[in-house]
Amino acid sequence: MINVYEAVSANKTKSYFIVALFFVFVTLVVYVLGQSFGYYLGYAPGGIGYVGLALIVSGLMSLGGYYFSDKIVLSISKARPANRKKDFTFYTVVENLCIGTGLPKPKLYVIDDSAPNAFATGRDPEHAAICATTGLLEKLTRSELEGVLAHELSHVKNYDTRLMAIVAVLVGMVALMGDWFLRTMWWGGKDRDRDEDSKLGAIFIVLGIVFAILSPIIAQLIQLAVSRRREFLADAGSVEITRQPESLISALDKISADHEPLEVANKATAHLYIVNPFKGGISGRGPSTALKMVNQFAGLFNTHPPVSERIKALKTMV
Amino acid sequence: MVLWFISTYNFFVSAKGRIKGAVQEIGNQLKRQADLIPNLESSVKGYLKHEKGILDKLADVRREIAQAVASDNVQKMSDAGSKLASILPSIKVVVEDNPELKGSDVVTKLMDELRDTADKIMYARRLVIDLTVDYNVRRQTFPSNFVANMLKLEELPGLITPEKGEHLEVSEAETKTPSIKL
Repeated sequence: MINVYEAVSANKTKSYFIVALFFVFVTLVVYVLGQSFGYYLGYAPGGIGYVGLALIVSGLMSLGGYYFSDKIVLSISKARPANRKKDFTFYTVVENLCIGTGLPKPKLYVIDDSAPNAFATGRDPEHAAICATTGLLEKLTRSELEGVLAHELSHVKNYDTRLMAIVAVLVGMVALMGDWFLRTMWWGGKDRDRDEDSKLGAIFIVLGIVFAILSPIIAQLIQLAVSRRREFLADAGSVEITRQPESLISALDKISADHEPLEVANKATAHLYIVNPFKGGISGRGPSTALKMVNQFAGLFNTHPPVSERIKALKTMV
Repeated sequence: MVLWFISTYNFFVSAKGRIKGAVQEIGNQLKRQADLIPNLESSVKGYLKHEKGILDKLADVRREIAQAVASDNVQKMSDAGSKLASILPSIKVVVEDNPELKGSDVVTKLMDELRDTADKIMYARRLVIDLTVDYNVRRQTFPSNFVANMLKLEELPGLITPEKGEHLEVSEAETKTPSIKL
């Protein structure tokens, strides 16, 4: 049995590892694309200029996304601000959890949708926002709501919302660069002599194309892994705040039993929610190993770990 | 080394400050509660005329909270806070027994507000406990204990709880699975 504090610190270590991996990966992509671009345009290794340019432009575009992420997400999700009178439980539960954690109270929003779900966003605790659907507020008891909102609040407390914003920026950058690289390939390169170093050049060009195609996918997979890891961390954090694993367990049970899809969620915002808003997919109960392997592979593309695994982790803390 | 010393020193100083603030927050919440209860009382009075029990209990709690806030003693304040939490279940029983009360908005509102204010005080206490644990652990663990010794920092009590007594013991009866007869 591990206690809450250990769970939080173990999760943090793993998350750092994943983020480090991401940075190594991005650097590698930049290097390979730079090399390959250089060879392609005819002047050997120093092609950093073009990729650098790509890096700056995509970086600027993503930076805007980082600073306005909360507003963008909230407007995509059609959220309205919550108030104490209308959303008494929601409002006061968050208020109380903030007293317990010493965090500033985040801005609260409500989405009019009967599918129960919630998410947190914002680049730091001072600019955080928590959003819940009316379905969540109606279907859960106050204690269950406390578990769910403490989960969201610990996303804010652990700077998960910032991490996810940064990771989203990195994924966006890799995707933009890969895209850019592939497009320029169509234009055709500079005329150059095909002599001794063209062999190495060809290898780099092929590698560059492979990277340009695969890297956005790999980046996405890393993003999803970060997001899944963070869910366990936030679950542990929620228990640390409320000391009531049971209420979060029953909340997760209730939310996952509800098969209504959330209409305002899309692929870009899915990783933010407490439970994956796109329900369904392959059910994980089949005993055959083939199905299990399919599930494991499909699991790579999930924004969230399976609810059953999260509940299992929570039960060790009871 | 110097940087480490500075950051550790700053940790202790800010932890002390935050704990002090957290203790005041308990007082703040109790004050809010003391103001809130009379309001709630008057709003449900007409409705609960025949349930004098509830109103009397509320009045008792209010008196105790007012005294605790006036005494400025953290422990007293915190005790008074738990008092309210402890009468909540008995109010609930009365409400459950009276279907006509259960459905009414006034009573639902009363219950909501009472639970909310009890929770607020519980969480205010939780913060004092968490911050004090953090402070006390850093005070004694290596290597930050050097800084703590140098500054002659003393252990902070946090929320005073007797370290011996019934609440730490499990009696024979409590080990049995409770059976509920309806």
